[in-house]
Amino acid sequence: MKIRGRRIVAGRAEGRALASAVPFSFVGGADPVTGTILDPTTGAADERLAGRVFVFPHGKGSTVGSYVIYGLAKRGVGPAGIVNASADGIVAVGAILAGIPMVDRIDTGGVRTGDPLILDGDRGTVEIPGVRATPVVSVILRNRGRILIVRRSQAVGSFRGHWSAISGHLEGREDPKSRAIQEVREETGLRGLAFRAAGSSVHARNDSTMYVVHPFLFDVASRRVRLDWENDEYRWVRPEELDRFKTVPRLNDVVATVLR
Amino acid sequence: MRILLALGELSEAERLVPITSAHVSGASYKMIGDPGLEFLEDFARDARVVVPTTVNPLGTDLTQWEELGIPPEFAEKQGRIAHAYETMGVRPSFSCTPYLIGVRPSFGEHVAWAESNAVCFANSVLGARTNREGGPSALAAAIVGATPEYGLHTDEGREPTTIVHVRTSPRGIDFSLIGLVAGERVGAGLPFFDGFQASEEDLKWLGAALASSGGCGMFHLDRVTPEARRTRTKGLRSITINRHDLVAAKRSFTDGSEADVIALGSPQLSGDEVRVIAQRVDRTPPRIPVWVFTSRIVRDANSEAVAIIERHGGRVLADTCLEVTLLEHRFGTVATPSGKGAYYLPSLCKQKVILDDIDRLLERYA
Repeated sequence: MKIRGRRIVAGRAEGRALASAVPFSFVGGADPVTGTILDPTTGAADERLAGRVFVFPHGKGSTVGSYVIYGLAKRGVGPAGIVNASADGIVAVGAILAGIPMVDRIDTGGVRTGDPLILDGDRGTVEIPGVRATPVVSVILRNRGRILIVRRSQAVGSFRGHWSAISGHLEGREDPKSRAIQEVREETGLRGLAFRAAGSSVHARNDSTMYVVHPFLFDVASRRVRLDWENDEYRWVRPEELDRFKTVPRLNDVVATVLR
Repeated sequence: MRILLALGELSEAERLVPITSAHVSGASYKMIGDPGLEFLEDFARDARVVVPTTVNPLGTDLTQWEELGIPPEFAEKQGRIAHAYETMGVRPSFSCTPYLIGVRPSFGEHVAWAESNAVCFANSVLGARTNREGGPSALAAAIVGATPEYGLHTDEGREPTTIVHVRTSPRGIDFSLIGLVAGERVGAGLPFFDGFQASEEDLKWLGAALASSGGCGMFHLDRVTPEARRTRTKGLRSITINRHDLVAAKRSFTDGSEADVIALGSPQLSGDEVRVIAQRVDRTPPRIPVWVFTSRIVRDANSEAVAIIERHGGRVLADTCLEVTLLEHRFGTVATPSGKGAYYLPSLCKQKVILDDIDRLLERYA
C-alpha cells in the first residue's frame, strides 16, 4: 500500500523500517558515533540506524538533536530516511542539515520494524510493498459518557474473541458515514443516531493487511442493544476502562481521534 | 533558508518577517558535545550572520577554567565552539541575558531569540516579538535576517490563554516560585497575571522559571507589562496561586539537606544584583563558597564587588552560567534562589538542590 503524507525533505529512500511507538530524542536516544539506538522505550534498542527508514511519532528533547542527526549522516551511520506522524522543528531541521529524505503526516502506528519501505520525499509518500490496504469503518456509540464495545464472535473472519467498536468493511466507493450507520443498525438494532464527529484515519496492522480505519462518533438515546451473529457480548464502558479489555489493535487510538 | 522555509511550513506561517537581532543558544560544550562542535565548525566555513547576533553562555569561564579544574580537552573544545561563533560574526557575549548588556529591541520589533528566559523577557517586558527558537533555527534566522511569521510574531499569538490570580504579595524568591507554579499549570499556554506589582528584575526571575517548568514564551502582568492593557481576558479559564502554593513549590524543588555551594545565576546576574550580593556577603560572610554567574561585561564593570565576593571565598564567573557549566565535579548539593536553576540542576547536572531566598541562605550558612 502507498500512504500519502507531506514532504519535509525531498529525495528517495529505500530500506527496512525501524519503528518506535514513542517520541524520540536524538540527544541521549542514539549513540552519536555509531548510530545505535540507546533508548529502550523505543523497543528498538541496540538496532542501528544506518540504512534504515526510521519511523517514529515525532521528536522531543533538546534542539541539539538537530546537530546529532547532522553528525550521524556525516559519519554515514544515520538513517536512510525519516517518517514522522507530525514533524517538529528539531528533527525537520536535522534532516534538512543532513539531507535525509523525510515525510510526515503518516500514521506511524501501522508500520512494523523490518517492513520494507519506499519513501518518496518529493511526492510525500511512503509505500509498504506486500501490505494490502483494507478500508473499514469503526463506530464509537456513546450514551451518557459511556461507549459501546462488543466482543467479536467465533463466526467472524478476524480478531475472534477481541473487543471492538461497531465496525465493518467499506466496499468500493461507498460513503464511509452511510456504511457506519448501516453497520450500527445491523449489529445493534439501535436507531436515532446523532452524528457527532468523524476522526482522522488510523492504520491498524494485522500481518500483511493494513486496516485503514475511519472513526465515527454517534450519540444514541438508548443502551438496549440487540446483537447479531458477528458479536456475542456487549458492554457500555467508560473510555478509560478500555485498557482492561483485550481489544482489536489501536482501538484506544480510534477512540482518541473522536473523543477529546 | 531551507531551514526557515521548512519551519515556516510546519507552523503554517504565510511569510518570513525581517528581524533586527538574533540570540543563539547551544554554545556550552557540555550541552552540545561533539555533534554541535562539528556542525558549528563546518557551518562557520562559509556562513555569516547578517543581523546583530549574541550567543548563550559557554560551559566554562574562558579565563578561569584552569583554576576551576576544568579538563583541558573540555576547555579546548569549548574554545573552538566560541571561535566558530565568532567566525560567523556572532558577538562573543556568552550571556543568557542579552537584555542586560545593551540588546533591548523596542516595542513591536521582530527578533529571533533562543534561550527561553530571554525570549520571555523580550516578549513580555520589552514588547518585542520572538518565538521560542531553538539553537539551529535562531542561527538560521541570523544568517538569513528573517524568521517565519507565526505564533508570538502575530497579534493573535500574543493573546493570553489563562488568567493567573496571585493572592499574596510576592518578594524575593517568590517571583521564581510563581513562575514555577504557573508554568506547571499553564503548560504551553500564555498566562495573564494579576494581583501584584513587580520590577524588571522581578520579572526576569518570574519569566525564567515560567519558561522552565512550562512551554511559555510570554506572559502579561496586569498594569505592568506593555501589552497587558490591549489583551482580551473575557471568558478565559482562571487559576489562583496563593502563599500555600509557593511554600509547597519551594519544598518540592528542594531535595538536598546540606549545601556545598550557594550559586547565583540562571539567568546571569545584573550589575545591580552583583553589587547587592557583594554587600550582603560582606555583612554576613558565608562559611561555604558563593558562586556568582554573570556576563563578562558586568564582571568587568564591577571589579570592586567581584573583589569583595572573592575575598570571602566566593567566585564571580563570566562567559558561563549555572546549569550549563561544569559544576557537578565539584559540588554535590547546590543552594540557589533561582527557580530555573532548581528546575534544571537535578537533570542536567545530577545535583541535589536547596531552593531558598538568598537572604535566608546567607543567614543559614553564615
